[in-house]
Amino acid sequence: MAFHKINVSVNGVMEEVVVPSNMTLMRMLRESLALTGTKNGCSAGECGACTVLINGEPVNSCMLLAVECDGAEITTVEGLAHDKQLDPIQEAIIQEGGVQCGFCTPGILISARALLDRNPDPSEDDIREALVGNLCRCTGYVRIVESVKAAARMLAVTS
Amino acid sequence: MSINPHPTLPEFDYIKPKTIDEACKFLTEHKGEARPLLGGTDIFVRMRDGVWKDKYLVDVKHLDGMNDIKFDPATGLIIGSAVNMNRVIAFQAVKENYQVLAEAAYSCASYQLRTRATIVGNICNASPAGDTIGACLLLGGILNVQGVNGARREPLSSFFLGPGETGLKPGDIVSSIQFPVPPRGMQGKYIKHGRNNLSDLSIVGVTVVGTPDSGVLSGYRIRLALASVAPVPLVVDQVESILSGKAINEEIIAEAASVAMAACNPIDDVRGSARYRKLMVKNLSFKAITAVWDELRK
Amino acid sequence: MVKVDSQYFPSPIGENKPRIDAREKVTGAAIYADDLQFGNALLHARIKRSPHPHAFIKKIDITQARTLPGVKTIVTGEDFPGHIGLYLQDRFIFCRDRVRYVGDPVVGVAATTVEVAEKALSLIKVEYEVLEPVLDPEFGVSPEAPLLHPDLGKYVVAPFIFPEPGTNISNHFIIRKGDVDSAWEKCSAIVERKYRIPHIQHVPIEPHVAIARVDGTGEVTLWGSSQSPFAQRNLIAQSLGISKNEMRVIAPYVGGGFGSKAGVSMEALAVAIATKVKGHPVKLLLTREEEFYTAFVRQGLAAYFKMGCDEKGRLLAMENKFYWDGGAYTEYGVNITRAAGYSSSGPYEVPNVKTDSYCVYTNHPVTGPMRGFGMPEMHAGLEQCIDELALEIRMDAVEFRKLNCLKTGSILVTGSTMHPIGLLQCIEKAAEAIGWGNKAPPSAPNKKRGKGIALMWKAPAMPPNAGSSAWVELTEDGMLNVGLGGQDLGQGAFTVAAQMAAAGMGVPYEWVRIATPIDTRYSPYEWQTVASRLTWSMGNAIVNAAKDARRQVLEMVAEAWGEIPEDLDIVNGVVISFKSEKEIPLKNLVIYGLPKPDDQGWRGGPVIGRGNFMPTYVTGLDPKTGQGERAVVHYTTGAQAVELEVDLDTGRIEIIKGVSAFDVGKAINPELVKAQMEGGFVQGMSSALFESLLVKDGVVQNPSFVDYRIATSADVPRDLQAFIIEVPQDDGPWGARGIGEHSMVPTVPAIANAIYDAVGIRPGDPPFTAEKIYLLMYDAGIVK
Repeated sequence: MAFHKINVSVNGVMEEVVVPSNMTLMRMLRESLALTGTKNGCSAGECGACTVLINGEPVNSCMLLAVECDGAEITTVEGLAHDKQLDPIQEAIIQEGGVQCGFCTPGILISARALLDRNPDPSEDDIREALVGNLCRCTGYVRIVESVKAAARMLAVTS
Repeated sequence: MSINPHPTLPEFDYIKPKTIDEACKFLTEHKGEARPLLGGTDIFVRMRDGVWKDKYLVDVKHLDGMNDIKFDPATGLIIGSAVNMNRVIAFQAVKENYQVLAEAAYSCASYQLRTRATIVGNICNASPAGDTIGACLLLGGILNVQGVNGARREPLSSFFLGPGETGLKPGDIVSSIQFPVPPRGMQGKYIKHGRNNLSDLSIVGVTVVGTPDSGVLSGYRIRLALASVAPVPLVVDQVESILSGKAINEEIIAEAASVAMAACNPIDDVRGSARYRKLMVKNLSFKAITAVWDELRK
Repeated sequence: MVKVDSQYFPSPIGENKPRIDAREKVTGAAIYADDLQFGNALLHARIKRSPHPHAFIKKIDITQARTLPGVKTIVTGEDFPGHIGLYLQDRFIFCRDRVRYVGDPVVGVAATTVEVAEKALSLIKVEYEVLEPVLDPEFGVSPEAPLLHPDLGKYVVAPFIFPEPGTNISNHFIIRKGDVDSAWEKCSAIVERKYRIPHIQHVPIEPHVAIARVDGTGEVTLWGSSQSPFAQRNLIAQSLGISKNEMRVIAPYVGGGFGSKAGVSMEALAVAIATKVKGHPVKLLLTREEEFYTAFVRQGLAAYFKMGCDEKGRLLAMENKFYWDGGAYTEYGVNITRAAGYSSSGPYEVPNVKTDSYCVYTNHPVTGPMRGFGMPEMHAGLEQCIDELALEIRMDAVEFRKLNCLKTGSILVTGSTMHPIGLLQCIEKAAEAIGWGNKAPPSAPNKKRGKGIALMWKAPAMPPNAGSSAWVELTEDGMLNVGLGGQDLGQGAFTVAAQMAAAGMGVPYEWVRIATPIDTRYSPYEWQTVASRLTWSMGNAIVNAAKDARRQVLEMVAEAWGEIPEDLDIVNGVVISFKSEKEIPLKNLVIYGLPKPDDQGWRGGPVIGRGNFMPTYVTGLDPKTGQGERAVVHYTTGAQAVELEVDLDTGRIEIIKGVSAFDVGKAINPELVKAQMEGGFVQGMSSALFESLLVKDGVVQNPSFVDYRIATSADVPRDLQAFIIEVPQDDGPWGARGIGEHSMVPTVPAIANAIYDAVGIRPGDPPFTAEKIYLLMYDAGIVK
């Protein structure tokens, strides 16, 4: 099997990694870079726990190859906060009680962040539709949806 | 049926050719062991399940034109093969002129998967459950195919030969799909019925596209395609005949819906029974045709 | 109860404190078991599993696999002769003579990479002699059924479980209260129904994972996603013949449990394999597919209900037969059978009850505890019958329930007396919130709208002596460290523990740290994080520990000030005297003590409080009648109501509004309590509308998210309400009882009853898929 040396920016840091052809981005993040914030819930593109941003767009990191990310910019949950300052979506989800076991949370935060980037004033439907690929078993989603609304309000105030 | 407890991606070599000719050549030379890679959403699933065992995945996403989506009011819409579904949905000209395609794409999977999934990819895999294939068929989609013997065009209407079987030959790469300029006043609707409200594979999918046409008795040409109820994406031609031959009213629509039900051949599977699927074809065809007709009459 | 309220410094009890673990979780810093880093010595395990539901193992050939480079060990049942099990030791870690379900572990491999381990599996050949399987519990109890556990009579079993050796019945729980047979003729209305409740799975978003390492001295360390570190240590050590002292379990954050990570399941496999590769940590991470069919699943149930009431609607008699599909091993499932048995009247006062609750072995996946512990499966049918009975007697469904529901002092199905509860208030609240009695018009001509209600009750199902313990330790900067053995699965256990410790000690909530991860070497004992018992049981232990620490502090300060402890208090981290108005911050004395006057020495020292709690009053139940004085510690009761629409074109159900009202005694953190009600409602709704493991000939047909559907953000009702009723529990901390499981229990029947209200169809067995509802309507002529 072929190996590839790739250069990829992860949370603003340039990384050079050697990956086999069949390594997914998820495994590269978790295993090669020890960025374990991104979670493995199914490895099949169904649960969304592995969601990261690639060039600003959310993907299931288990559904693309690391080698396909050569030259790309990846953002994981570890890259949402800046120093000690949490992103509004992180503040909001704590405030609204949208975190329970926390395993779906990184993927949810990434999907929500991307939604707010493309649509700063999402409706309830917009939010539900944007999160449909992030399964949560604990919260029943209501507080997660409220968190996104709260984050949108926070962003509107600061912008 | 036995369960595979550990579906994983097998070993393969990732190949990134520099030109489309190089890609075609590689695919031909490694016929049967190499596959073009677009968004990978079908490939990953089938390789994990052990259904596809290719030794080489040939990434074609970066090749010329594959990433472009363009609309020309004179010639129509051309979508590069690598353009992901989210981009198609958001493209202004698609929203204005080919809404049914956007509606069908929006019903697929999740935002994350649509960042990867491509219209062309789904067509090449010819999945009978493909949500966008019906719209592509009814909009008159034509594939631009690059092969070892040069370029050719493949109209979708004759492209699907059987479950998973298409008019593509080894070494072929589809570089784009194009759609003619839509007729004035065209309306469309896609209704997807899954188990969840969103994100599921379809149990039944109904696409309807209608256009005012003074050349037929009813004044409208209305066509219908079905997903998940036949071995291939199914265009039910009799629906068009019924809806063009007489003045359209609720009874005629109901008749067309019954014909659609009779024309399809669904199976029992874990998602739904054949009996239920047939009944849904009837109900949802009625709904979709009515919705399009209502829009056409406005 | 601890006196802490002060007009200036409100107690954290009843406050919506932010989660203590939220920041870690939102930054990706929270470590779950698969995130732990083990370095180059880490080996990866894979399990070769039975492809047959029932077969003898004839031959295992590992010769080829053993020579594969990278393979470090291959183990089979030959290597591990000990039985294992919580209430009934009916399992081996790896199968020995036979396999009993598709997925039963036969061979374990540890290798340098997962890929090598999988390659090794493909080189291992196992020969089986296929046997006739039992695929249904009613067949399982019949004399024609093959015997799945011929050694049932020899298994070590808990004293309150009654297996019937020579059969496939691993527990038979009996209720004989009053005289059911002669009660029927007094009934004005009788309803008799059968329900089949399918297997479902917990679907935690984090699959099971365990890493085990045995070091050179034989000491075992197990890291895992675990609800039960102490139980896992006990059971695995005992099975492998290790002393409990030599085994250590470390349990980081759990990404969802719902019962699946209680007891022991796949963890034993990792430990067993690790014993053969000393010095190497061995990781076993279940794939999602394995999670669906080889981790615990919920029991299936064939339930027969017969119930009758008099002309005024008073319930007179109930006769129940439950055949629980316990799967291949019922070491945990036997207690579910019992719990359902002693709850089989539902939350109603019924003078005559006859119940036979059978736990039956089948060749289905292994069943275990799932949120509700038999209550959702049982209430699914029971609460539909109650609705039918109310209709028969022409009584409103809410009025019928209010008449019959349990109240303070009611006599229960076990003959015990009900403690103070607010079930009636829950019913009234739920009915009011859903707008009971008002029918709103449907939102479209092709929809029909309906409302339904259902009640529930549940007691923590556990041994009579399940205990908790805790310590609190003050630090040099006056912070409070709390040691405990219960786990936060997401329900908020650590947060409310911190609130209770803070309140007990008299410090702000923000000063409290919970000593995590739970580590059996250092953490104090906790039976298991199950049964919705932590707030109550672990809470009491924490309060006792805080009281102990507080007593030490107050005694020390009183002596130093020449006062009496009764005149002192600790408020907001400061020791104050009501008498002299002196004060001193805690941090000034909790490590170094206080100096005696005139340089005469010191008093006090590092303050560490300890406490425990174990119920002392739980009695047994007569095995022949199920009657006893107090077989459970307490009940949490509640009600849910739903308003929904049925789409006449597709049969799809849309929940418009869901309402929960539960009596939790005291909400230590109201928002967390409500979050449990919301999450439980949605999980219940998901099981009502989408979920079932489709098992055919013993093979799970849908072991993946593609075809095992769960609720997504698009499926949740827009209007989900949660109401807290508080009728205090006499021995709960501040009156608190549990809530974690209860909100999943009444959802299925509430939805079923609402479907009936909408379209006049009794949907019966869940899941109420669109197809099921549509075809029922079609066949009834309601749609064409």
